Amino acid sequence: MRPTFDPFVIPFVASMTFVLAYCIIGMIRIVFQLPKEDRRKFLRSLITPKIFWKNIKDLFGDSLFHVKIWKRKPLLGYMHSAIAFGWFMIIVVGHFETVALSPLKDMHLPLWEKLMSNLYMPIFFRYFAVEAPTLNAHIFAFLMDFFLLVIISGIVIAVVKKKRPRKVGLKRVTKFGLKEDLVRISLWTIFPLRFLAEASMANISGGSFLTKFIGFDLLFGGHYSETLSYILWWAYSTDLAIFMTLLPFSRYMHIPAEAFLILLRNAGLKTTEPRKGYAVAEIYSCPSCGLCIDVCPMSEVKENYRNTAVYFIRNIRKGKRRRDVKHKTEICLMCGKCIEVCPLGIDSLKIKMAQREKTYYKIKSDFEYLSQQTTDNRQQTVNKADKVVYFAGCMSHLTPKITRAMTKIFEYANENYEFLDKEGSICCGRPMMLTGKKEEAKALIEKNTEMIKKSGAKRLVLSCPICYRVFKEEYNLEGIEILHHTQYINELIEKERIDVDRSDKRYVYHDPCELGRVFGVYDEPRNIIDNIGLLTQGKSDKDMAVCCGGSIASLTMTKEERDEITKNAIKDLTLNHPEEIVTACPLCLKTFARFAPIKVKDIAEIVEENIVEN
Amino acid sequence: MTPSYDNTYTMKERNVLIIGGGPAGMEAAHQLKQLGFNPIIVERNDKLGGHLAQWDRLFPTSETAEGLLERLKENIKDVEVRLNSRITNIEKNAETFHVTLSNNKNFDVDAVVICTGFDLFNAEKKQEYGYGIYDRVITNAELEEYFKTHNDKRIDEPQRIGFVHCVGSRDIKVNNTYCSKVCCATALKQACEIKDEFPDADVYCFYMDLRMFGKGYEDLYLKAQKDFDIKCVRGRVCEVSENIEGKLVIKAEDTLLGTPMKMTLDLLVLMCGMEKSKGADEIQKMLNIESNKDGFIENLGAFVGMNKTKEKGVFVAGACTSPKTLPDTIAEARSTAMEVYHYLCNN
Amino acid sequence: MIDFGFSISKSSHIQMDDVDLKTFKKLEALNPDINTCMSCGLCTATCSAGNFTDVSFRKIILMLQRGKDKEALQKVKRCMMCGKCMMICSRGINTRNILLSITRLYNEEEK
Repeated sequence: MRPTFDPFVIPFVASMTFVLAYCIIGMIRIVFQLPKEDRRKFLRSLITPKIFWKNIKDLFGDSLFHVKIWKRKPLLGYMHSAIAFGWFMIIVVGHFETVALSPLKDMHLPLWEKLMSNLYMPIFFRYFAVEAPTLNAHIFAFLMDFFLLVIISGIVIAVVKKKRPRKVGLKRVTKFGLKEDLVRISLWTIFPLRFLAEASMANISGGSFLTKFIGFDLLFGGHYSETLSYILWWAYSTDLAIFMTLLPFSRYMHIPAEAFLILLRNAGLKTTEPRKGYAVAEIYSCPSCGLCIDVCPMSEVKENYRNTAVYFIRNIRKGKRRRDVKHKTEICLMCGKCIEVCPLGIDSLKIKMAQREKTYYKIKSDFEYLSQQTTDNRQQTVNKADKVVYFAGCMSHLTPKITRAMTKIFEYANENYEFLDKEGSICCGRPMMLTGKKEEAKALIEKNTEMIKKSGAKRLVLSCPICYRVFKEEYNLEGIEILHHTQYINELIEKERIDVDRSDKRYVYHDPCELGRVFGVYDEPRNIIDNIGLLTQGKSDKDMAVCCGGSIASLTMTKEERDEITKNAIKDLTLNHPEEIVTACPLCLKTFARFAPIKVKDIAEIVEENIVEN
Repeated sequence: MTPSYDNTYTMKERNVLIIGGGPAGMEAAHQLKQLGFNPIIVERNDKLGGHLAQWDRLFPTSETAEGLLERLKENIKDVEVRLNSRITNIEKNAETFHVTLSNNKNFDVDAVVICTGFDLFNAEKKQEYGYGIYDRVITNAELEEYFKTHNDKRIDEPQRIGFVHCVGSRDIKVNNTYCSKVCCATALKQACEIKDEFPDADVYCFYMDLRMFGKGYEDLYLKAQKDFDIKCVRGRVCEVSENIEGKLVIKAEDTLLGTPMKMTLDLLVLMCGMEKSKGADEIQKMLNIESNKDGFIENLGAFVGMNKTKEKGVFVAGACTSPKTLPDTIAEARSTAMEVYHYLCNN
Repeated sequence: MIDFGFSISKSSHIQMDDVDLKTFKKLEALNPDINTCMSCGLCTATCSAGNFTDVSFRKIILMLQRGKDKEALQKVKRCMMCGKCMMICSRGINTRNILLSITRLYNEEEK
């Protein structure tokens, strides 16, 4: 009969208790930091059946299998699944094994002792167990060995990733300090140590193909040394303890945090404060994997890779470093690629926006002058029901080709339209919001709302994706359909209200960030181009399209840095030798035109050029 | 030690390739011929003269471009000229260059003078000015053409005419940060000329700085103000649009008054600046010569090295290294000829 | 002092010797491109707010350089941040960030 307790379990039990306590306190803190409304929403979500099942699905899909990483980088997906799911299964199967075969099973112990031993028994089961030649025991031993092997294979890839990132398809990986190195090494060694400890006494406690045959028979040469084995069990437990103790202070905090984040997200919560509540859950969920580094346009300028999301989140987590956080907040182009690739879907842009809203501006905006502007009551001679208003936006006034093409298209389609800001406009408010002046932007939003409502139109067509976003997200234009001109023109073509000629001209389409990643308007522009010519592929498109470099979301980026991004984006776009670059944003158009070796046009322009007069 | 060139016996057999048959090329060829060498002009067009052949009259004296061109041509009537020819290859051997032309003819030269000149800035790149969108927006070159031919339907008794200076110059948004040097004087010259054609018209020049630096330029400025009532507005035009009647509406700031202004015009002339000639790119590749930050050909410094490039035996003259006026170009072509002379005599 | 019933009004000159440029120096340090303006007027001419009121980026900078802070700040307040001036500036000045820096550095109450 083997003992049921040994002092070597103490480091593990202590550290495990610490981690559990830390996480529970952390979760409670976050819940209390949530705005009242959000808190109620969250608690209610936990008992809503529909959300409950979604939670279960997402916990498996995202936390354990990392479906999102599989989609982008299968090898990395395997690495994460192997470690996370493997570990999860070892815990689950281990518990079943303990229940089925534990030496404690038939003992009569006080309840709390049973509970305590249940905490460590599955982890160190082989030390306490004696080989039971039952079929059950063999099956359990096989399963445990199998998942151990899965985990170890994952760790091998992790080591390769660290040493040779290019082998797993990464150009750059996140750089870490000493503490993170220590935690990582402790994690990498947990399962090899477990394997060695289990293998060293597999003749007594049993084992399957990995621990017994490869481990005990081959590695240890069939020789059992009690001292060596005991040392290995101590090493295993100590290693676990080091990992668990440091976990809350390291990036591995993402393991418990991301599970919690999934619950919060499924409850429909969003960041409202940069360093409280939901944002904290996101910040702690960042595994610092660095997938966002390679995709970030800022990484084009080598020194700027430290402005990417992973470093922003790391520094905001560290609490201080206000100046650095401010810098990273303000330089960001907010193109949103980092959110797309993030395995956890962490929306660092919302954190940055919330952070920007914290900026203290001594001088407040004053839009009193707008109230003196009367929106003239134009004569409504036409039937309002089918009227369309066209709002070109500030930027489009510097790209007359767009506005001219649009007015011609309206005329060809026989549209009952009104060019609302022909003589110049009030800004839509989005640029103001991007500087953090959300409240002050309201004056602009209200004035535009008044103007649009007064026009009596039922549809609003916009040429600028920046406007489109703010109109969709912040305006209250009930009963008025808001369309970007890509959507509107596509509809005209589909309903055969305009006719276009098709040629062999090769186009490439650049997805503007706000139209593509934010609203998923990917098909409409492509459909339009398919009707006009041949659509060629750039290096990356749709949700992976590169920002043009002109984004007004960045407040501090220098023109030299912007130029590098623009040149790179053009290089990507012209990969397959298109004849023209097509985009759907006046700002992208202007930005590209400076460096593009071929013509850059708005999608409205190419439609107007190829329209067939009836 | 003063160099003495007693070894001029072989000069007649020494060929000098002149790339480009504009004013710089013609003048360099003329001087080199006078010095006893055998210059060969290679010109891709079917006639000599470059941009000069398209102009009507020249600032500041208003003499005709044709007159100057005839004189330049007269000077080189004994020079070998290959029109409609492109250089397909130049290979440097020990001391000579082996030149291949588009018609597969080839020959050896002892020195090369690049006189590829400039291209006018493509005004369509400045979309906000509406060139190519609105009919009544034209360029300085098109206005010269009109003065020569008086055949342009877009210029129809305009009542109000605007000139925009610095189109494609001094503008980082088109990657040209330099001053094109000739547009200020050209604008005032053309303003006077169009006022001459349409005495009832109001003519406005929108400038940032009036750079009237050359001999007689300031007089031209005074003449424009005094005799032609040209109004100079200090401010860059930012946007051009069209109103319902098809007239142009421009926006600019009157920076001296500090107030934005709008104005309706019947004709807008864009003073397109200079960019390095696209044809020079191929030549630079063949000869391994780089461009400077403005995109023009890199020469060896602003002062004594201005006629030379880093490649031995390769010289430059005219607007291929930076925007230049005609007097500058002709003076530089002459000095380049002297540099070629020293080079060949020392070799 | 004898009261003559009138006084010589304050000189309308800008007294550059009396102008306190301490805050402007801070602004310059944050935005070195502020001094590259050549006053072409594009920003003012294109300004969205300029359609309705007297916002002028160019003039704001000049006024701050000449110590006319109060007047300048009145203009700063009316800016809509739309970024058109940045998009058109011939010298590529980051106008928006300069305006933001002003709203952080300057106090309205002083002067």
